[in-house]
Order: sequence, then C-alpha cells, then structure tokens
Amino acid sequence: MMKRVQNLLGHYLIHGFRVRSEPDGDLESQAMVAVFGSKGLRVVKVSWGQGRFREVWRSGLWSMSDWIWDTRWLEENVAVALGHNSVVLYDPMVGRTLQEVHCTDRCTLSSARLIGNTWRELTMVAGAISNELLVWYPAATLENEPVAPDRRVSGHVGVIFSMSYLESKGLLATASEDRSVRIWKVGDLRVPGGRVQNIGHCFGHSARVWQVKLLENYLISAGEDCVCLVWSHEGEILQAFRGHQGRGIRAIAAHEQQAWVITGGDDSGIRLWHLVGRGYPGSGVSALCFKSHSRAGTLKAVTLAGSWRVLAVTDTGALYLYDLEVKCWEQLLEDKHFQSYCLLEAAPGPEGFGLCAMANGEGRVKVVPINTPTAAVDLTLFQGKVHSLSWALRGYEELLLLASGPSGVVACLEISAAPSGKAIFVKERCRYLLPPSKQRWHTCSAFLPPGDFLVCGDRRGSVLLFPSRPGLLKAPGVGGKAGAGVLGVSGGSGGEGSTSAEWGPVSILPSLHGKQGVTSVTCHGGYVYTTGRDGAYCQLFVRGGQLQPVLRQKSCRGMNWLAGLRMVADGSVVILGFHANEFVVWSPRSHEKLHIVNCGGGHRSWAFSDTEAAVAFAYLKDGDVMLYRALGGCTRPHVILREGLHGREITCVKRVGTITLGPEFEVPNLGQPDHLEPGSKGPGLIDIVITGSEDTTVCVLALPTATGAAHALTAVCNHISSVRAVAVWGTGTPGGPQDPRPGLTAHVVSAGGRAEMQCFSIMVTPDPSTPSRLACHIMHLSSHRLDEYWDRQRNRHQLVKVDPETRYMSLAVCEPDRPGPGPLVAAACSDGAVRLFLLQDSGRRLQLLAETFHHKRCVLKVHSFTHEASNRRRKLLLCSAATDGSLAFWDLTTVLDHGSTALEPPAEPGLPYQLGTPCLTLQAHSCGINSLHTLPTCEGRHLVASGSEDGSLHVFVLAMEVPELEEAAGEAELRPQLRVLEEYSVPCAHAAHVTGLKILSPNLMVSASIDQRLTFWRLGHGEPTFMNSAVYHVPDVADMDCWPVSPEFGHRCALGGQGLEVYNWYD
Amino acid sequence: MGRTSKDKRDVYYRLAKENGWRARSAFKLLQLDEEFQLFQGVTRAVDLCAAPGSWSQVLSQKIEGGHVVAVDLQAMAPLPGVLQIQGDITQLSTAKEIIQHFDGCPADLVVCDGAPDVTGLHDVDEYMQAQLLLAALNIATHVLKPGGCFVAKIFRGRDVTLIYSQLRVFFSNVVCAKPRSSRNSSIEAFAVCQGYDPPEGFIPDLTKPLLDHSYDPDFNQLDGPTRIIVPFVTCGDLSAYDSDRSYPLDLEDGSEYKYTPPTQPPISPPYQEACTLKKKGRLAKEIRPQETPISIVDVLPQPLAIPPRHTLLASEVWKHGQGPQCPFCEPTVTPSQCASFYPQILWFWGPKFSSLPPNSYRTQWVKPTIINRKAQPSI
Ligand SMILES: C[S@@+](CC[C@H](N)C(=O)[O-])C[C@H]1O[C@@H](n2cnc3c(N)ncnc32)[C@H](O)[C@@H]1O
Repeated sequence: MMKRVQNLLGHYLIHGFRVRSEPDGDLESQAMVAVFGSKGLRVVKVSWGQGRFREVWRSGLWSMSDWIWDTRWLEENVAVALGHNSVVLYDPMVGRTLQEVHCTDRCTLSSARLIGNTWRELTMVAGAISNELLVWYPAATLENEPVAPDRRVSGHVGVIFSMSYLESKGLLATASEDRSVRIWKVGDLRVPGGRVQNIGHCFGHSARVWQVKLLENYLISAGEDCVCLVWSHEGEILQAFRGHQGRGIRAIAAHEQQAWVITGGDDSGIRLWHLVGRGYPGSGVSALCFKSHSRAGTLKAVTLAGSWRVLAVTDTGALYLYDLEVKCWEQLLEDKHFQSYCLLEAAPGPEGFGLCAMANGEGRVKVVPINTPTAAVDLTLFQGKVHSLSWALRGYEELLLLASGPSGVVACLEISAAPSGKAIFVKERCRYLLPPSKQRWHTCSAFLPPGDFLVCGDRRGSVLLFPSRPGLLKAPGVGGKAGAGVLGVSGGSGGEGSTSAEWGPVSILPSLHGKQGVTSVTCHGGYVYTTGRDGAYCQLFVRGGQLQPVLRQKSCRGMNWLAGLRMVADGSVVILGFHANEFVVWSPRSHEKLHIVNCGGGHRSWAFSDTEAAVAFAYLKDGDVMLYRALGGCTRPHVILREGLHGREITCVKRVGTITLGPEFEVPNLGQPDHLEPGSKGPGLIDIVITGSEDTTVCVLALPTATGAAHALTAVCNHISSVRAVAVWGTGTPGGPQDPRPGLTAHVVSAGGRAEMQCFSIMVTPDPSTPSRLACHIMHLSSHRLDEYWDRQRNRHQLVKVDPETRYMSLAVCEPDRPGPGPLVAAACSDGAVRLFLLQDSGRRLQLLAETFHHKRCVLKVHSFTHEASNRRRKLLLCSAATDGSLAFWDLTTVLDHGSTALEPPAEPGLPYQLGTPCLTLQAHSCGINSLHTLPTCEGRHLVASGSEDGSLHVFVLAMEVPELEEAAGEAELRPQLRVLEEYSVPCAHAAHVTGLKILSPNLMVSASIDQRLTFWRLGHGEPTFMNSAVYHVPDVADMDCWPVSPEFGHRCALGGQGLEVYNWYD
Repeated sequence: MGRTSKDKRDVYYRLAKENGWRARSAFKLLQLDEEFQLFQGVTRAVDLCAAPGSWSQVLSQKIEGGHVVAVDLQAMAPLPGVLQIQGDITQLSTAKEIIQHFDGCPADLVVCDGAPDVTGLHDVDEYMQAQLLLAALNIATHVLKPGGCFVAKIFRGRDVTLIYSQLRVFFSNVVCAKPRSSRNSSIEAFAVCQGYDPPEGFIPDLTKPLLDHSYDPDFNQLDGPTRIIVPFVTCGDLSAYDSDRSYPLDLEDGSEYKYTPPTQPPISPPYQEACTLKKKGRLAKEIRPQETPISIVDVLPQPLAIPPRHTLLASEVWKHGQGPQCPFCEPTVTPSQCASFYPQILWFWGPKFSSLPPNSYRTQWVKPTIINRKAQPSI
C-alpha cells in the first residue's frame, strides 16, 4: 500500500532524496531524509514501525541562492552542490549556511555529485556545460577563496546528466547527452591528484541517457528512449527493461540484495524489475534435431499440442511427435496422400490428450488422436485443395473442425470420442459459405458463448457469424441457405448427417481487418476479440444475432502482423504477433514485449501454445524445428508499482460528471485519518474526467474526492496522431432516464493531428472488484479523417487543396433542441477553417457539413452556447477565436433546417457547405486566443471571456437584442442580434498564455496559465477583480476544467499539461 | 510525406530556406526590428548563442560596415564580417574573451537567442534558460554603452517575473515581445530592453554570477496580485504568415512550390557517434539466449517478494463486465434456451472441468502426470 507524505517542498519540485545513514546503523524503522529540488531543501523524519508509516518531524523549508544539484549528509549537517559550481555546508535543522566555497571555474553545471562523509574529505564532481568533469575539494579553500579544480576529465561530447561512484571498486560512471555511458577508473576520488582512466564506453541507448547507477556487479542506465539497460562492468548489456511510455525514464533506484531495479518514468509510472543474472529470464530457443538418417523427407509444417509436445509433418506425408519429457522424435503415421501439401492443426481433446488434423490438396482431411494414431479417421470433403483448417472448442463438450475448400465452402465436422478413448467419430455437421473474394477461405474460428454461434475470420479480413447448428434453426429467415448452384456436394465418409447445401453467415463485418486477413478470433467476458494482419485488434460483441464493433486498437509500432490474442489472469490481454523478423508476445497494458523470438518472420510454419505452466513457440528453420519455451505463461515477472498515465503532454481535460458510490463501495483510504481532505465523509463522490494527450491516447480517469487519488479507467488509443481536444455530450446514467442505475454514460468526440476525429461512448459503472471501484466500458462509434474525405473529393474536383498536416485545435458540441439529426460538432482547424460536422445515428455517422475560412489564420478555440428567450426558439451560437486575437460568433440555430439560409451551397456538389458570415466579430486581443468560455446571466445576457497568449483576459457582456424598428430595413430583418453591452480587459492577468478559463457563475471566474498560477476573479457585472491566486506544479498547462463539488468542498480544478493536477478551492 | 512534410507544417522554415537564412529564427529578429528599430544607429553588436548563425546573417546585413561578435558553444560556419568565438557564455573565461573585444569601444546592441537543449524537466529547463539570460546580461553590463539595447530570449514559465524584475534594474524600458514567426504554442518570447541605465554605483563584476531574483512580498509576489509583468508586444505585420497555420504547398501568392534543401546542414549533434554506430549495427545489444540446450531452458525468474498489485492510478484497460454478459449486449439466448440447444453430450470426459470460466471457451491442454507411452511404432 502506498502512503503519502504531504507537500514537502512547497512550489518546488522534488529532484532527490538523501537518507542519513545512522551511526548505530539503525534504519529498520525510521529515517532522516533530506529532500531537495530546484532551490528548496527540507529534512523530514519518517518512521514505519508497527506497520504504520508516519511523518515524525519536519524542518523548515530552506531556500538556497541557486539550483541544488546534489545534497550529501555530513553527520548532522548537509553539503549542497549548487548551480554555478559552488558547495555550501548547511545546517538543515535550523536552516543556516555554515560555509560556502566556489570553484575558480565559474560556469553553469548540468549535474554534480558529492562524495565523502566529512567536510574534510568532501569531493565535488561537477559536470559543466562544456561537457567536462571537474573534480575539486571544497575543504581546500583558504579563507573562503575559490578553489581550483584538482582534475579535469573530458571525453563525453555532450553534457553529463548523471554520475555514480562505486567506492569499493574505485569506479565512476557518467551518463551523457551523447547517448553513451562511460566508466572511469578513478581509485579513491577523495584523494587529490589520482589518475582517471576511461575503461568503458557504452553505447546502447538510442537517445540521451538521463540516469546511471553503479552496483557491485552491474551498471544500470536509463534514458530518454524509455529503456533501462543493465550492463556488466565490462560493457555488455545483460538485460533491457522496456515498458515505460513517453519521454523517458527519469529516475532509477536499485536494491542489490533483493536484485531489484526500480524505475520512474515521465509517464508517471513506477515499475519494479528483477535483475536475474545473464540473459533473458527463463527462456531460450533450441533446435529439436529432426534431421537424421532414420527419418526421410523434409519438414513442411509444425504445430504444438500443448506447450510440451510438437507435431510435424514431412514432404513424405509422415507425421511426427516430439515430447519434451521423452526428448525424442516418434513417428505417428505416414500417409502418402499428404505428401506434397499438408495443413496441420492440433486441438486439446479428451483428457487434454488432444487431436490433430491434417488436410491435403485433394480435399482430404485426416483427424488423428495423438495418443492413438491408429484410430485416425479420413474423410474426403472436397474435390480440390483444402485451403485452411481450424478448430472450435466449446469447453470439453463440443469440438468442431472447420475446413475450407474451393469456392468458399467451409465444411464443419463434429468430432466425438468413444468412452474408451480408443476411437473417435467424425461427422460432417453442415457446410458454410463465405462471401466471394479472390482468396476465399476462412482463417480462424471460435464458439461464441453460450455456444449457438461460431465466429469466424476469413482471408479477406471479414469477421462472420454462423449458427453453430443451422439444422436446429427454427426460423428459416435467419441465415438462410446460400444460393443454389454453388458447388458443395461432398462425398465424405462422414456419412448421412451431412447436408449438401451451404449456410451463409447471419452477420458479417466485411473487411474489418483489411486485405491481409483476420488471424484469430477469441471470445471472452461477453466480447469477441479479433486480430488481423493490419496490425489492429478489435473488440466486438453480438447483439440480437448481429456482430457489432466496439473498439479497434493498434498494437505497438512496427507490429503489423498480429497473430493472436490471449486473456491473462489479471484481466488484461496480451497480443501475439510478428515484428519484422521476430515473434513477439506484447502486453498493451504494460507496453512490454513479454517474449521475443527471432524466428525470421511469420511466413514459415509456426505454432504458439500457452498452458498455465509455460509458453511455447515452435517454428521451422533450416529443415529443423526450433522451439522457444518459457515457464510461467503469458504473465510478466515485473511489477507495476504505479501505472503510468499519459506518456506525453496532456492537451485537454474535460469533466464528464460525478458518480456517487454507496457505503458498500467503501473506497480504500490511502491517506492517514488525520490527513483526510475535507468533504470526504458521506457518500463516495468520484469525478470522471477525460484527458487527451500528445501520446495519441484518450484516457478516462476517476478522481475520488475523498482520497485525492487518480485511477486511469481506460485508455483509448485509436488516433494516429496527437489528440488535442475532446468534447462530451449526452451525459446520462446507465439504463437511461426510465431505469436509472448507478454510473455514468456519455458520448465523446476527440480530435487532433492529421485532421482526425473519433467518436465513442463511455459507460462507467460501479464494480467492487477493482481498486477504483469502477469499471469503464468503451464503444467506438465512428471516425473521420479529412484527408480521406479530401482524397475522395479530389478524384472528382481538381480544385480541392489538400493539406494533410491540418490539426484540429479545439472542439465544441452544439446540441439542437429539436429532435432530428443530431448534434453538430464544430472544430477549430489549423488551416484557418472552422468546420461543422454532423453526428447522426447517435454518433455512428460523422459527416462534414460545412466550413468557413473566415479567420484566414489558425483557429485556436471554438465554444458553443445557447440563448433562451421566452416564446422564442432557442438559439444555437458558436464562437470561434484565432491567432490574431479576433472572435467570431455564428448563429447555427437554423443550420439543420430544411432550406435554411444559414449555409451557402457549396461551389460544387460533393464539397461542404459554406458557413455564411458571422453574426458578430470582435477584436479581443492583439495575439492568439488560448482560452474561451461563456455563461448566460439571469438577465438573459451572456458573459464571454477570453484569455490570450499575452497573458491578458477579456470579458464581454453580450445581449441578444431586437434592433429598434427604425433601424431595421424591413420586417423580415427584425431578427434579434448579438450586441456588445460592456467590455473589460485585464492586460497583465498572467505572465504567460492563459490556457484555461472558466466562468463558474455570473460573479466568479477562474483562469489558469503557463505561468503556473491558478487565479480566481470576482466578476462584478462582468468586470474581473483579483480574488486570489495559487501556484501549481504542472508546467505547460494546456487546458483546465473546473466544477463545483459541494458547498463545503468548494470547487475542483483539473489542470492538464506536463502532468495532471487536481486543485481544490474553497471560497 | 517525407521531406516536404516540414515545409507544409512550418511556413517560416520553408521561407527561411527559400531566402537563404540558416535558420527560421532570422524572421524573429527581423520582426523584432520592424517593431523596435533595433538596428538604428548600431555599429557594434554582440550575438550570443549564435549558431547556426541566422541572427548573425541578419546583423551583418543590417549594420553594414559594423562590427559583429558571435559566440556559441557550437562551431559555426564562417560568415563575412562576423568575428566568431566558440565557448560557453556562462563560463568566466568566455565572458572575459568577449569583453576584451569591446575594451574602450562599447557595443550598441547585445542579442541572445540562446536556448539550452531542453531536457523536458520543465523546472530545470526554465532555470537553465534563466542562467543563459543572466550570463548574457552580465556580459551586456560590461560591453553595452549607456542607452544601449539588449534583446534576449526568455521562456515565459513560472518564474519569468523574476527575470523582469532583474532586467528592470538595468534598463529604463523592458517589454516582452513575441514575433509572429514564433508560434502561439511556444512559451518562447523575447525581452527587449532599451536604454541601458545601470543603477548608480553599479560596478560590473564578472567573477560572480548574477543570481536570479527571488519573490518579494512587496513588489513581486509568488501568489499574490502584485507581480512584475512587463507589457507584451506582438511584433510583425498581421498580414505576415501565421506560424501556427498549416499552409498548402502552393502558397496563395500564386508561386509554385519547389523543394529547397536546407541552407546549412545541421551542426554535428552530440549523439553523432551513437548514430554512426547504430547505422553500422555496432550499438551494444542485449544478450539473448540462442540455441541453448533445452535442459537449461526452464529457469523460473526470481519469485516475487512484494505484492504484485499497485494502488494508485490503476489502469483498468480492457476491464469488462464481471457478469456473463457485456453491458452493451442484450442477452442473445437465455440459459434455459441454451440447454435445450444441446440435447446430447458429445464428450464423456467433461465433469472435471467445472472450474472453466463461464463465458470463455478456452480449453487447456492438460498435461498428464503419468504417461502410458507405447514404444516407437514399427514402420
Ligand atoms: C536557437 S539556437 C540560436 C539560433 C541563432 N540565433 C540563429 O539565428 O541561427 C540556440 C543556440 O544556443 C547555444 N547555446 C546554448 N547554451 C549555450 C551556452 N551556455 N553558451 C553558448 N551558447 C549556448 C546553442 O548551441 C544553440 O546553437
């Protein structure tokens, strides 16, 4: 369990801890820790006796004159290494400088390390911007005069970011911007004048190296490439830990006795890894030495029967078995019918002993019980080649074998066994017919629980649903027989039961995985999962006998050939696939490659099997069977101590709503009782927030009000480029208004780089089995890409100017009040356009409706609002803002009406409509507008607030007014118009871009800026006056959302930038 | 995509190449000059952090017959009329070398476009940027004539008001300027300080670094309303290209697009050796077991001594309904219907697998403990 100590360094960030070694060696239950970062330093005493972690004492927060690069305990005092190459002896208990010594070589440093346990032997190792290492002794000063460096060491061609000294061996390691780690033989660094010798130069990282740590037998390094490498002191890489996302690993720690390495990443994740000697843990590839004088023929195909038995056929039609326990090849049978072409697939059968099936080029199929090969059964199913074979198992109750023959006919054989186990029966149950295509055969199959349907994938990339017992179907309308005239008469020995007509699919998702085909189907937890050679895996479900896609996800970069999917014990999935020449088992949850086998690619015959005990991967290479085995199945030996959030900057934050959990869902409390945040009593309130990030993902987060924790519920990763904006509409509860159940549902659109938009729905429901007490279900609804749309149009119109680099900067959803087509999504685009999209069929169709290039500059923000007036139709308004500081207002009320004049018809059919002229334009700022919000007031007016790049705020009070009669040109013109009543501006509200702004009530507004201040403003009739301001930690804040919680809780603000921070504000 | 992709995304990058500038930053200095007439009457100038040299190009063109000293950590291709010094401007020795060139004849303009290689740790980067600026300011106090002008890049982060307060000590007029060629999304801006006017009795001292100011409860508060925020000026014509906008390759002025290669190949980066090694496939690689005999394969990794479940930020990706049905589905078949579907039992070995998960059909291979194995069949 994690315990937290409340804020230690105020507004400074923590860069390091130094634990004081106790004279009596007692670090069993308490420790004195010096915590430092930026210019701040504080000492805190913590204890963890009796299973309770407590903060016992803390010193004041001391500010140094310069940046702290390192701190070292010298008995009661600390030595502090400062930014311009000086060392301070400091008493941290009372906060007093005892002595400060400079180096004669005054320059800024990029890192520094203090060595030694007393002031007299204290050694400063400083990394200068000039890439040099300077070694000097502060105690050598005479009357506080600057001290000259004792040694200068050069070698790196980039700045040094980290150093580590191993006293026992007299070694120093340095990590640098030049992507290398160097090992230096330095002897005892505390002795002046020693020789420094470079004994190792380690190149292994593919980006800057942030951290290095020397252990007795290892060297650990980690860097911007998100990899943590374990080296020997001789410079060989022993292990590589991969899995962190984003900008790299920032911190490492190691525990030598336990053989642990712990890494902290820029993704805010913390992981624990095991140092296990040389090589990959528990895995290896071995050749099974098939080639021998006694065995004729060469191997054609291989498969696995469990993780300990390999089956292989040769070009003489011989079937061989290799058992890992017996360690020898055994011929099971030989049949010359299977000489030139033979498919081979195995399945677990009775007692797990298993069966295998062979098929040849003349329509013949042989089913072999592996333990009793003499009981094999042969059938001739087709008059041509059998293209594919696959098994479908319903527990141990029902076993089907599907064989694809010519013209898309799939024969479905049911296999049963005699109680003796010595005989099997193979009966043709029915035949299915695949939709026409050039390569018309199925590739995989599985039972859909409870078992009345089979889900299949085909070579054309389609996923199909067939009744598993079409003969029992009462309603002839469902499915139905396939058209006559298709060749399908079989002369099989399966006998009487076989039908001569084929059944078509009852449901089909055509080309779901593209031209390269589907590779696997798996059913689990009410969903169907499919993988394909398009590099994607899909989640589907079946509703009313129809397949429906839920979510499509891409696997890791470069893995374009997915081969399968497995569910593992913790409820997550792992993906099997080929990454260039390697077979990879990859975990989307931990982003780790759990197994890597350099097999040469997926084109040769291969098989994978995972049983509880072990995983095995067999493949053919140079006429032999190669076998990779690892114990422990598809789980990972490493531990995620804390899950990461986004790998890169968060660009948008949106609160969806709040879920109230009853007392039965007691949220585990991480804080100490005396540190509970106010308002935590009573029902468990959990805010649900959506974030989008440059790492191309959208995340659904749960933020319980009581604990201050954050739980990532789901990550949606189907954007091809960074996500910059999210918008939410139609929030409700599961079960709808008629039958509300606890939880939350909403529709979400996300958009970003490469002009791509995704629409999905989320449903968050209580679930006591998870740490967050919530479960989140995602369903993908639709997507849209402007470049695809343009490409389509360009074939027809030469006029279209294509700019695939267009980014969507901001989104707004406008919901018309009338039933009918629905909501509009407005997008601010970097190519200078405001585009309107129409979402239909509750989000399943997303269509470009209209656009305007009114702004002619990058549009940064869009915001929608409505104007309600008694006895008038509700007005739908959109406000857009650009990099030149101008605002434009658009009346969208009648956009969807038939024959509306709000839109001008396109120049040519097929192009989007033109969004007329704005109903009002305003110049609010002199440069880009980075935040925009509006709120209606009770007088029927609107407050419009904008924040800009120059740090200024602007508030307009707008009214919707009917022009005076004499002003109006004619009666038709008597329409209400937007008019500015008042206008206020705060020029230096912030020192940088105002990127978050929200009007909370007609007299309260909050703004957030890149200057890391969150400021609350009182709005008196629109005029903002400063109330108070707070400094927060997240740099580069790109978005902020703020919402009221409860009277005693005040407001909560979520700030997203380089990290996420939730701030509670009480008036 | 390929090489034109950056041309599409960044119109100023493209224009810089087409106009022979070594970097797109040339436009920033030009736009700053448009607003502030920086080069008026200037004959002697210092360009700190000059590589690859586009500001030096602008300076040497705009102040004809003048004297320009350019300093950078990196080596820079020579430019006519520009004296180059390679060194770290925060280092005492480099500062001394620069000052020596202006002994007796002070400079009119000091510019600094320096930026550290950002690490992504925002507070470190902001600190490093501030140190570059303070080092430049320290040099400026030695070489600048009274009334001279100082222009330096700033990051408008958390502590930018401390920099403003420091600059205001030395200059009568300080503004924060942002050229339109600098993107909206960038936190970079330029402090334009005019009228060098050091406080009375100020004696420049190179040996001590200028340290950053700290927050002041009276004049520059950390979280109060009183902060030193200097006026903000956007420079450059509104009709100038918008650096945030993506433009099609055929610009509106009707000119046809032609790809131009970069004016200057990039300065050799510190990671060049690593790249060369990578290209040659000579980076160290992890040792993977190859062809190990099967007997030594089965080594289980160290047992875990700590609980495998995390507490905070638990991601429940792919967390599904616990019940037998996914919440999006309507039940397709009720259990009773289902039973009538299977009148006969096909396997007789079933019952011991009652632990099978109710809604997934993954049949495990069961490894027999006792193998009754017959001998190799005779062929
Ligand atoms: C943005 S570039 C300057 C571009 C230049 N103004 C131009 O127009 O071509 C920033 C430069 O600052 C330099 N720099 C960073 N830290 C430095 C230091 N401590 N001393 C000198 N130069 C430094 C870098 O080497 C880099 O070339």
